[in-house]
Amino acid sequence: MLFPLTVVVLVAAVLLMGLAGWYAASGRLVDDRLLLVAAVLELGLLVQLVVGLAHLRTVPGGGAEQATFVAYAVTLPFVPPAAVFLALKEKTRWAMGVVVVGAFAAAVMTARLQQIWNLRG
Amino acid sequence: MAEPTRSTRSGPGIVLVAVYGLLALAATGRSVLQISEYFSRAPLAYLLSAVAAVIYVVATVALARGGRTSRRVALAAISVEMAGVLAVGLASYLAPSAFPDKTVWSHFGSGYGYVPLVLPVLGLLWLRRTGSATRGARARTPG
Repeated sequence: MLFPLTVVVLVAAVLLMGLAGWYAASGRLVDDRLLLVAAVLELGLLVQLVVGLAHLRTVPGGGAEQATFVAYAVTLPFVPPAAVFLALKEKTRWAMGVVVVGAFAAAVMTARLQQIWNLRG
Repeated sequence: MAEPTRSTRSGPGIVLVAVYGLLALAATGRSVLQISEYFSRAPLAYLLSAVAAVIYVVATVALARGGRTSRRVALAAISVEMAGVLAVGLASYLAPSAFPDKTVWSHFGSGYGYVPLVLPVLGLLWLRRTGSATRGARARTPG
């Protein structure tokens, strides 16, 4: 994936993880600030999906690499909304655990996406 | 719900549901890819991958629903998962030729940070914990 875009997504994901960790420690629930960071992450993932699909023909490897690339790019934008949805319903600090898990997954999947992208000649 | 069960999705359980959901996603994706792209390379391993994916999906849904039946389904799914990760993990070391590619359970889930190995333990402990809360609540209820 375009490197600056990956950086934006990773920074947003790490920020979200940190914020959720802090909220969990101080016993806070989902609020506007957390939603804002999640929204930035979501926006980055959506742009990533569009850019990824637009450049799909240049993604190297056999069908397997391409399939993985598409699967990751398409799945990623579903992760933050799902995590936030679960977290909103839970009224204990464990809600933040879901946000941390979701943000971590988004970071790992984006890194993997970048790996496949970098295989391009 | 009328029953005094502590829901399997409240408190720490919600995190468990999230992690199970994630693994369900990862396992399903990987297994669809393996079976559609190169099934002949290692049919046994890839079939086990698919089984793992189904079990994760079932466990996720059962834990998220958390009714009396769901609890039983979750217990069964997580027990199979525990047995599966141990059996496949061991087999992947003893007969590496049958597992040329990583699956969710091979090498005790090392490709996924050993989460597949730890998760069923946490899942079973959680079911036990919420289950004993149920029994306690029933014991306190007269009649």
